[in-house]
Amino acid sequence: MAGTMSSMAIKGRAQSSRPWPTPWAWLLLPGSVFLVVLFVVPLTGLLLLAFGMPNWTLANFSRIGDTPVYLTVMRNTLEISVTVTALAFVLSYPIAYALTTGGMVLRTFLLIGVVLPYFTSTLARTFAWIVLLGRNGVVNQFLLELGWVSQPIPLLYNRFGVILGMTHIVMPMMILPMYTVMSSIDPKLMRAARANGASPLAAFLTIFLPLSLPGLIAGVLLVFIYCLGFYITPALMGGLSDVMITMAISSQILEQLNWNFGAALSVVLLLAVLSLLWVGSRFFPIEQLLGFSDGKLGSSVTRRQIGAKMLMRIGSAANALDRWLPSMRGRGVPILASFLAVLLLLPVLIVAYLSFSASSYFVFPLPGYSLRNYEAFLFDTLWVRATFTSIRIALMAVAMATALGAMLAFGLSRGAMPGRGTMIALLLSPIIMPTVIVAVATYFLLARWGLQGTEFGLALGHAVHAIPYVVVIVVANLRDLNPSYERAARSLGAGPWATMRTIVAPLVLPALIVASFFAFLASFDDVVYVLFLGIGKITTLPMRMWEGIRQDISPTIAAVATLQMLLATIVIVVGTLLRRQKKT
Amino acid sequence: MLMKATVNGSDVKTAGITLHNLQKRYGNAMAVDDVSLSVSPGEFISLLGPSGSGKTTTLMMIAGFEMPDSGRVLLGDKDITRLPPHRRELGVIFQNYALFPHMTVVENVAYPLRMRRMAKAEIETRVHRILDQVHLGALASRYPHQMSGGQQQRVAIARALVFDPPVLLLDEPLGALDKKLREHLRNEIKTLHKDVGKTMIYVTHDQDEALAMSDRVAVMHEGRIRQVSAPKDIYRRPADLFVAGFVGEVNLIPVKLKSGIVHGPAGESLPSPPWQDADRDATLCVRPEHLRLEASAGSSGGIQGRISGMTFVGDATVLEFRSETGLQLRSKVLNVSDHSMEVGDPCVASWVANDATILTD
Repeated sequence: MAGTMSSMAIKGRAQSSRPWPTPWAWLLLPGSVFLVVLFVVPLTGLLLLAFGMPNWTLANFSRIGDTPVYLTVMRNTLEISVTVTALAFVLSYPIAYALTTGGMVLRTFLLIGVVLPYFTSTLARTFAWIVLLGRNGVVNQFLLELGWVSQPIPLLYNRFGVILGMTHIVMPMMILPMYTVMSSIDPKLMRAARANGASPLAAFLTIFLPLSLPGLIAGVLLVFIYCLGFYITPALMGGLSDVMITMAISSQILEQLNWNFGAALSVVLLLAVLSLLWVGSRFFPIEQLLGFSDGKLGSSVTRRQIGAKMLMRIGSAANALDRWLPSMRGRGVPILASFLAVLLLLPVLIVAYLSFSASSYFVFPLPGYSLRNYEAFLFDTLWVRATFTSIRIALMAVAMATALGAMLAFGLSRGAMPGRGTMIALLLSPIIMPTVIVAVATYFLLARWGLQGTEFGLALGHAVHAIPYVVVIVVANLRDLNPSYERAARSLGAGPWATMRTIVAPLVLPALIVASFFAFLASFDDVVYVLFLGIGKITTLPMRMWEGIRQDISPTIAAVATLQMLLATIVIVVGTLLRRQKKT
Repeated sequence: MLMKATVNGSDVKTAGITLHNLQKRYGNAMAVDDVSLSVSPGEFISLLGPSGSGKTTTLMMIAGFEMPDSGRVLLGDKDITRLPPHRRELGVIFQNYALFPHMTVVENVAYPLRMRRMAKAEIETRVHRILDQVHLGALASRYPHQMSGGQQQRVAIARALVFDPPVLLLDEPLGALDKKLREHLRNEIKTLHKDVGKTMIYVTHDQDEALAMSDRVAVMHEGRIRQVSAPKDIYRRPADLFVAGFVGEVNLIPVKLKSGIVHGPAGESLPSPPWQDADRDATLCVRPEHLRLEASAGSSGGIQGRISGMTFVGDATVLEFRSETGLQLRSKVLNVSDHSMEVGDPCVASWVANDATILTD
């Protein structure tokens, strides 16, 4: 043990006191150049554009403040984001808790309920809600049938619909960071609390809740930021009075062609997100959730103490009340969590069911089964062409993202260099920053190079978006790849190249495959980048779905959405299998 | 120069290792500071020290995973300082063994031979011969995670020996195991050393391990070698206070050396080996098992005090002693016969002159 510590201590010393980059760190170079050129530069350009470059002015910003319409847009954005975040928090906590403390069966079920929707495209899930909530949608059909209403009630294209749809879509994003932190809490602590006289509720309030706080903060923060920059669901499900800032940006850039003003709106959103991230990082190192756990949790300890003291008071009060509280014998939470997980899964499952309809309308229950929707998809040249376009672009993006992401991951886990923390922040920002802003910024850049509306240009954008996923997955895997395997190989006579080929490659390959699958999915499901970078010239599969949903809600889309869900399932299963294989 | 020694009637390839003034600096910290050491062919030497003493860094410089800032590493009389690890032909047994998780036992053991592009048939004979030697023939197609800690160690040994390296480097191989298994595997390594006759350099922080297994022990502290001696001498004749305190338990008595006589805290004369230097302050080291507590002082003097505590530890009893000046000492007495001491009894602490060591640092 002490020996491990001694070598670790030396390593730590080496990393902190060696300011120059080590050889491994050079692997960071290609990926960082790529991200600087395609992420940092465009965002800077966006900033300059907002200030009217080359004719500097603040007019764009004062226009936002002077126009009541935009103040309403800001208020909408805030109201909707706060409501959705709060709802998602309340509904997610029981699921995350049951996911941590439940038995094997419950946990597997809940994990499916969280992960499957998470990896099914936002577009497919939004479509599911539109089918459910429409005037002639499944819900209204039910209500009419039951006689609870005499005529269809408006559930869609209003505030209710937006909030319901968004909450459903962001919940997995809230649950996963909560779960990550909760599962790192030693269950023995809860037993110790019980042994020291705490009732289950008091133990929860005084031990579990304070320890899970970082995960809660991170989940709330990530979801709130995501809501601020959410585009697809509000644009498809909202009414005329529910315009959010992303929709205003898109209309300025794509319809009014007022780039400067659109850029100014984007900068407002960007600043909001950055300041939130800054505040959030004072409480919790957000990169930790994404797999970079070398930061210390200690910095937030003092701030947490205040909250913990309050919880302690409530906890001891709860302890006194224990005798009078009704007892569910610990079954309350699992039952609630299972119910919520069913609700998470239900929309997509209903769409999958409806996709096999023999009718050209969405009728529930099905009048008869048929594959006509799938045939319509497979024999329509437009759909097929869109699918192939998507695959082409995704493959290009995967190639770039996997190569660069793998190098970045190796550089980060093995290399030492100054500014490593900044590097991690840069790497992860493409998935934290609102996609709309990044897409708009990239659009301006590509337009300068004449790459707008080309498949390669779109693939570049997708690669930027996919790199963080690749890095996170590969870094997590490299943590298991003990450097002593490589040393052992070298001591046994393998040169650097032979070590790479016989030891590192076989051990990392599963992670690379999983990473490239997820990168593929990130590109294949995207619609925001296509909207901006495709300038109407590129029709990918999601783009065609998007147009389809806006024009007529054809049942063919249900077939496509189901196929997308199937793809997500395959990716998850392959990922799980490869991980399991590695362990055996 | 590789030597051919003869062990159990067969020729063995082995070689000595020499370290010349090795230095390794990490930033401002000296990890290894001017380490020189000469290991003879076939010798078993331990690098013993606490965390951060530089023992692992030293071993890694011998193995070629760390480059010394200055100094040289010789294998026999060949300078290997700048040789990459895979050309050094040294067997290394890593902490936790570093068995390749994606390869079976056979594949693991065959790995060094495949890297040497040996013919298939030759690889097969060699691998099976060595697996039989470590009694793992039956588990050849298992994966590392399907084996116990002891079996894993034997695979690691087989893998490190199959290409017949002249020297074996062992980096705390027993570090992660529980106590019972450690003792068992310790004997296995010791037997292995006797059987194969290779030079072995063994890094550990466990003094029992180092003392029990080694021909010589090099005690390291803060990047320096403080003493290199046979285990018995490390224990009985520690070179400085660090070695005295790190290896085994010790009573440290502050003394004054004056005209050939050792004076204790109260000015009393104490038994001690002869010393030549000038008058000065020093520390007298006495191991607890050498400290005798008796009712009256012997001819060579002792420290007056009382018994202040008594702890039964099975094979022995540990007696706490408190002198009139407040000095606390411990005495360990084997429970071979009943002794009549009680807590509070006045007594004199003394020892045989040659069992004490004078340290002047």
